[in-house]
Amino acid sequence: MSNIKRLALFFLGLGILFPFAYLAFLSFSGAWFFPEVLPGYFGLKNWKEILSTESDMGFSFFSSLGISLLVATLGTGTGFIWSKSIAYHAQKESWLVLAYFPYMLSPVVLAACLNFFFLKSGLSGTWQGVVLGQYLVAFPYSVIFFQAFWNHRTRQFEQLVLTLGGSSNQAFVQVLLPLAKGMILVCFFQTFLISWFEYGLTALIGVGKVQTLTVKVFLYIKEANFYYGAIACCLLVWPPVILLYLNKRFVYNRLV
Amino acid sequence: MFLEVKQLSKSFQKDLIVDRLSLSLDQHRTLSILGRSGCGKTTLLKLIAGLETADQGSIWVNGEEMSGKTPAERKIVYLYQEDLLFPHLTVRGNIGFGLKLQKVAPSQIAEQVDLMIERLELQGQGDKMPQQLSGGQRQRVSFGRAIITNPRLLLLDEPFGSLDVGTRQRMQELFKELAAIYGITSLFVTHDLKEAILMGDDIGLMKKGSLQIYSDKQDFLLDPQTGVRSEIEFWESLLKPNY
Repeated sequence: MSNIKRLALFFLGLGILFPFAYLAFLSFSGAWFFPEVLPGYFGLKNWKEILSTESDMGFSFFSSLGISLLVATLGTGTGFIWSKSIAYHAQKESWLVLAYFPYMLSPVVLAACLNFFFLKSGLSGTWQGVVLGQYLVAFPYSVIFFQAFWNHRTRQFEQLVLTLGGSSNQAFVQVLLPLAKGMILVCFFQTFLISWFEYGLTALIGVGKVQTLTVKVFLYIKEANFYYGAIACCLLVWPPVILLYLNKRFVYNRLV
Repeated sequence: MFLEVKQLSKSFQKDLIVDRLSLSLDQHRTLSILGRSGCGKTTLLKLIAGLETADQGSIWVNGEEMSGKTPAERKIVYLYQEDLLFPHLTVRGNIGFGLKLQKVAPSQIAEQVDLMIERLELQGQGDKMPQQLSGGQRQRVSFGRAIITNPRLLLLDEPFGSLDVGTRQRMQELFKELAAIYGITSLFVTHDLKEAILMGDDIGLMKKGSLQIYSDKQDFLLDPQTGVRSEIEFWESLLKPNY
């Protein structure tokens, strides 16, 4: 590899890693005023304060984690099952247009359209409402994602199991699920991210009562509290980074 | 007759794919069906296997009417041109798959799988994954997986279509050996003239959804529609000195 390529790769890597490193740096900083080049304070004070006095940060973190895991599990599971019915349906194209609907509108506009029903059903301002709202975005994504799986070959596998004496359930559990394992994990990861970083819809349906980590980040930024905002960002960014690593290490490498 | 198909028809939208087709076959015999692509061979096999529903007509196996029975209840195994080995299972897992579905005891499955591996000449390959096998080995595993379940009828849809000439010849021999050992009754569909003659005890020609079964192979050889005569003339012309 030539030196120019190495240098270019170094700067590319630096460009990617800099925002993460800067966020971490900012979260340990304090009393950093213009035109000072370095902060007046650098230490664990912000983190200690947040962990002791602002204990709802931990609650927000675990709420986000719980909501995202639930949305990812429900979205991937039901999406996988429904995608099969849609893939083999005579009106497949029409159903898929409907599945693209939340993305054509954008999730926040969808939430605004459905807000009336959330208010009427008493789901507005509850975590169940937020889960349902995010599910309405994650589910169609999952349905579209799995269309590639239900192809001619998959159908032949399923028919083969039937002629070998198996039931549809046996075909599903013993053949289709193992065949789709890699795709299911990737879809779970993607729907987790959709939910984890979702802000507009969550803020609208949660009406400030459901404070996920993303909502918290925007709250601190609005308050101009950059240091706490940076801590919230660190908490927001690292779980997906770990998931991305696990996905690359255990799923993607096996699929390729 | 062991297998009887009576006046079977099937259309997809306005296209008539199988047209009032009838056939009969004795037990432990193979009927090879020659036909070009799109003549309705695959649809006929899928109708018999219960993977498609007939518009009219009936299918009888050993005196039992098949309509209304699920593919699993029919005990008719359909083998595709592709081997369709399950990529997440070993050779052993693939061969024993049908027995596992039938909830046969694991010790019995292991015993039968070992015997089948030996008959398929796959000794030492049992723990390999499908992607580690050659095309011929994969097709053998696919055969073993079907035969081990002791099906009443085996439907073979151009099973050697993707193999090279040498492997294909070896597989044809192996199939005849296994058919004799296990007393298999089968329909063997192919578009290869030589294969149709070699594999079938009885032989038929399928054209535009209709099937003509010949009383003996001599009739088949003499019928100009089968293409045997033109094939012979082609090879003879090559042997002529002025060619």
